[in-house]
Amino acid sequence: MSSSVAEHPAASDDFSIVGKSVKELRALGDHRHLSLNDAEWAAVQAHFKLLKREPSLAEIETIAQTWSEHCKHKIFTSPIRYTEGRKTRTIKNLFQETIVAATEALQKPWCLSVFEDNAGVISFGKKWALAFKAETHNPPSALEPYGGAATGVGGVVRDILGCGLGAKPVLNTDVFCFGRPDYKGFLPEGAHHPVRTLRGVVAGVRDYGNRMGIPTAGGGIWFDDDYRLNPLVFCGTVGLLPQWAVKKEVKPGDLIVAAGGRTGRDGLHGATFSSAVLGADAPSSAVQIGHAIIEKRVLDALLRARDRRLYRSVTDCGAGGFSSAVGELAARCGARVRLEAAPLKVSDLESWEIWLSESQERMVLAVPAKNLKALEAVFAAEGCETAVIGEFTRTGRLEVLHHANAVVDLDMKFLHKGLPRIEREAVWNAPSATKPSGGADKKLSQALKEAVGHLNVCSREWVIRQYDHEVQGGTVIKPLQGVRHDGPGDACVIWPHTATGDMDDFSGFSVAHGLNPEYGRFDPYWMALACVDEALRNLTCVGADPSRAALLDNFCWASPEDPKQLGALVRAAEGCRDAAKGFAAPFISGKDSLYNQSKDEKGRELPIPGTLLISAIATIPDTRKALTMDFKGPGNALYLIGRTNDEMGGSLYHRLLGRAGGEVPKVCPVTALDGFKSLHAAILKGLVLSAHDLSDGGLAVAATEMGFSGEFGCLVDLDEMPRDPRIYSNETLLFSESPSRILIEIKPEDEGSFLRHFGKAAKAAAVRRIGQTTANPIFKVVGLDGSTILEESLRELKEGWQKTLPAMLA
Amino acid sequence: MSVRPLPLLTHLIEVRLRPEFTDAEGAGALMLLQGSGLSSIKETRVCRLYEIKGPLSGNQVQQAAKDLLCDGVTQEFRVLSPSHAPLNGMNFWRVEVWLKPTVTDPVGETVRSAVAEMGLPRPDSVRCALVYRLVGRSTKPQIEKAFSKSLANLLIHRCVVSEAHP
Repeated sequence: MSSSVAEHPAASDDFSIVGKSVKELRALGDHRHLSLNDAEWAAVQAHFKLLKREPSLAEIETIAQTWSEHCKHKIFTSPIRYTEGRKTRTIKNLFQETIVAATEALQKPWCLSVFEDNAGVISFGKKWALAFKAETHNPPSALEPYGGAATGVGGVVRDILGCGLGAKPVLNTDVFCFGRPDYKGFLPEGAHHPVRTLRGVVAGVRDYGNRMGIPTAGGGIWFDDDYRLNPLVFCGTVGLLPQWAVKKEVKPGDLIVAAGGRTGRDGLHGATFSSAVLGADAPSSAVQIGHAIIEKRVLDALLRARDRRLYRSVTDCGAGGFSSAVGELAARCGARVRLEAAPLKVSDLESWEIWLSESQERMVLAVPAKNLKALEAVFAAEGCETAVIGEFTRTGRLEVLHHANAVVDLDMKFLHKGLPRIEREAVWNAPSATKPSGGADKKLSQALKEAVGHLNVCSREWVIRQYDHEVQGGTVIKPLQGVRHDGPGDACVIWPHTATGDMDDFSGFSVAHGLNPEYGRFDPYWMALACVDEALRNLTCVGADPSRAALLDNFCWASPEDPKQLGALVRAAEGCRDAAKGFAAPFISGKDSLYNQSKDEKGRELPIPGTLLISAIATIPDTRKALTMDFKGPGNALYLIGRTNDEMGGSLYHRLLGRAGGEVPKVCPVTALDGFKSLHAAILKGLVLSAHDLSDGGLAVAATEMGFSGEFGCLVDLDEMPRDPRIYSNETLLFSESPSRILIEIKPEDEGSFLRHFGKAAKAAAVRRIGQTTANPIFKVVGLDGSTILEESLRELKEGWQKTLPAMLA
Repeated sequence: MSVRPLPLLTHLIEVRLRPEFTDAEGAGALMLLQGSGLSSIKETRVCRLYEIKGPLSGNQVQQAAKDLLCDGVTQEFRVLSPSHAPLNGMNFWRVEVWLKPTVTDPVGETVRSAVAEMGLPRPDSVRCALVYRLVGRSTKPQIEKAFSKSLANLLIHRCVVSEAHP
C-alpha cells in the first residue's frame, strides 16, 4: 500500500507553508515562479491547515498551474467593480456576461461544442464538423522566437487533436504583432530586436506547420513599437472531424494512457508564467523546442485509433503537462497516476518535474482496458510511444504516486473550485471627442504612396512564401492572389474533402481575421466591433456565408492589476458581446493573454496596446464560386457597398500625417450584416467578379491593391460614393476607414441584375456605382469638384508596396 | 561466442556543402552578422556538426555519416577527433552553436533513431550543432557579441568560438 503524502517526508519536508507569513509565502512563490497572489496563498494555506498537514512540492505546483491565468482565466471569471464615468457596477463574471451570453442568446443549432473543449466546433454538412482554435504563445516567443512560435503551432495543433475525439488539422493561420523592424532605440538586456523576433517567429511557424503537412494559408502582421518587448504570436488551427466524434467522456476504470513524446525537464512553469509580467528573471525552463515529426506520428496514430473507437476521451498535454491534462480529464471522477510509468527523456527527473513538465508532442487518452492492446498496436505502427500511467477512479481525488510514494493527493473540488475570486477595480473614462489636429497635409499622390508602402499595409510575401499553403491540395483561394499571385487576399478558402474522401462535395470553409489596436487607443469597444466587422467582411469578400460565421476571441492585454487597463478590457469584451449579437455570429472559443508588459530600456513599464484578435470561420456552400480580390478585366463597373463617414480617428492617413483626434470608426452591425448577406447572395448568383474590403487606408488602398493585383486600372468618382453628405474633403473620402465597406467589380451586363438584387439597399444609396475598371494600369480619381485629383501608375505603387518589408529586413 | 560491446565513444561528424556550391544559408548568416556589427567578416559558410555518443565503431560512424547525414552530391563530411585542435588562422574563425544540454534537440533525437533503423547500434545520445566558418578580421568578444544578437540565443544555446583553419 502506498504511503500518504503526509507520511512521506521527502515529498513534504521541502515545502512548508502552514504558519508562514504573507511575506514569506510571496518570497517562496517568487523563488519557484508560482505566480500565486496573497489571496490564493491564503486559500492554499487554509486548505492544508484543515487537512492538518503540509503540502508536497508537487501539490503546490499542481495548484499553482491549475489556478494560473493560462488555465483558469481568472481575470475574466472573477468579479470586477467597473466604473465608467460616474456610474459604477459590479460584473460578476466578465466572460459569462459578455462572450458566453452572446453565444447563448444566439442559440445557433450548428454550434456543436462551445467553450467546453479544447476548441469550438461547428457543423460542416450533415456528417462532418469543423474545430477551430487560436492560441497565443507570447512570452515563450519573446524569450526564444523560433522555439516559442514553433511550439505555439504545435500546441494549437494538439488542441485540435484533443478536441472531441480528435480532429484532422486542415489549416493553420498565424497573426503576429511586432515592434517595427527599423526600430533604432535601445532595448533592455535580454530583449531581442524586433527583426530577430520576426525572423525567428516566422521560421518557427514555417518549420512546424510545413513539417506536419498542414497548410498555413491565413494570417496577418501588425507593427507597432509598443510590441517591441512583448511580441504577440497568435497561432490558429482548423480541424475536421466526424460529428459522432464531437462528444467525449471519461469513465472510472478507464486507463490513463500517455502517447507521443517523452517527458523531459523542458517547459517547466509555462502555465504559471502566463500570470506574470515578463522580465529579465524569466525562467529559461519555460522555453520548449518542438519536434514536428513526433507530433505528425501522434496525429496519424490518433486519428486511426479514433476511427476504430479505441479510446473514450483525449486531451493534449499543454501548459501544466500531465497535471493539467489528467486534472482536466478527471475533473468529474478522479484519477490515480503512477509517474514511474511515464517514458522519460532523462532519468534524473524529480516527481514534480515529471508531473509538471510541458515537454511537447504528448497526448493523454482515456482507454477502456479491453482496447489497450489494439491501441498500443496502432501507435506502435506509427513509431509512436505509449504508456499506461494510471487509471481514472470514482474517488473525486487526484492521486499521484511515484515509486509507491504519494506525491499528490488533492480533492478535485478544491483544485477546480477552490480558487478564490478576487474583486478587481476597473475604470473607463471615455475620451472626449476631439477634432483632428496636428500634422501637416500631404499631396494626395504622396499620401497614397506612403499608405501602400506603410508597414501595416505593405506586402507580406516575404513571410507568406515561406509557408506551404498548398499541402493537402485543398487551398482554393490562396493568401496571394492576382495575375502574378502576389496580391493581398482577404481570406483563404479551403476545400477539405481530400480528407473526407467525398470528391463530389464542393463545400468548403474560409477563415479570416480582424485586428486593429490603433482603434483601441481611442475606444476598445469600437475596436472590438471593428475587428468583428473586418473579419466578417473579409469572409464575405471570398464568398463565405456571413450568416454561418462563428468567432474566436483572443484578448492580449497589459496587467489587469491596473484599473485603467482592466477598464479597457471590459470595454472590449462588451464590444465583443454587442458585435456577436448584432452580427448574429456566436463566439465558440477564445483565449486571453494578460500581463503583456515589461520594463523598457529606462526601467519604465511598457504595456502593449490593448489588442483583440477576432478570428472568424464560415462555411462556403460551393467553393467553385469563391472569389479573389483582383480586377478581372477592363470596362467593368465598380460598386461600393457601405457608407463612408468622417471616421479618421486611428486611421492610417492620420498616422501618416502625425494627426491626432477624430472619430474612431463606428459599426452598425445590423446594417453591415444586411450588406454582407446581400453580397454573399450576389456572389452565389455569379454577379460579382471581384470583391475587396476597405480597411487600413480606406478606398484609396483597396482600389490600388485590386488594380495592381489584376493589372488593370480604374477610374473612381468620389462624388458618387455613398457617404455622409457633410463630407467635403477628398482626403476623407479616399482614406476614411468607415467599417462595413466592400469594393466590388461587376460586368456591365450584370449591373441591372445586381441592382435589382440589392433592392432597398441600392435605393437607400448604400450601394452605388463609383467608377469602372480600365485597361491602362493607372489609378485615377475624380474629386468632388469634378477635377482629376489623383492619377498614379499602379506599377509604381505596387513596387512601393512590395519593397517595404524586404528593405527593412535587409 | 559472445561479442564484446564497444565502449561508449564520442564521435563528431561535420557535414558541409562542397566548396563549389553557393552556400545560401551562409550568405544569410553573413547578412545577419554584418547587421549585428560584424562588418569585417567577408564570408560565412555553414555546416552541421553531429556529436554521437554510443557504442559505434569508426566504420559504423563513417557509414552513418555517408548514408544518413550527408548528401553525397552536394555535401562532404569528415569525422573529427573530439579533441580537435584548430590551427591559428588569423582571419579564420569557427563558431559552434549547440543547444544547451537541458534543451530538447529534435534533430539529434531523429538522427539517433535513424542510426538505429540503419541496423547500427543505437547511440546513447546525438546532439546537433550548427557550425559557422567565418572569414574576416575580428576578435573573439566581437564574434560572441554578434552571435548573441543574431544567430544564437544564449537562453538555449551554447556558443564555442575558436580560431580555425583557413
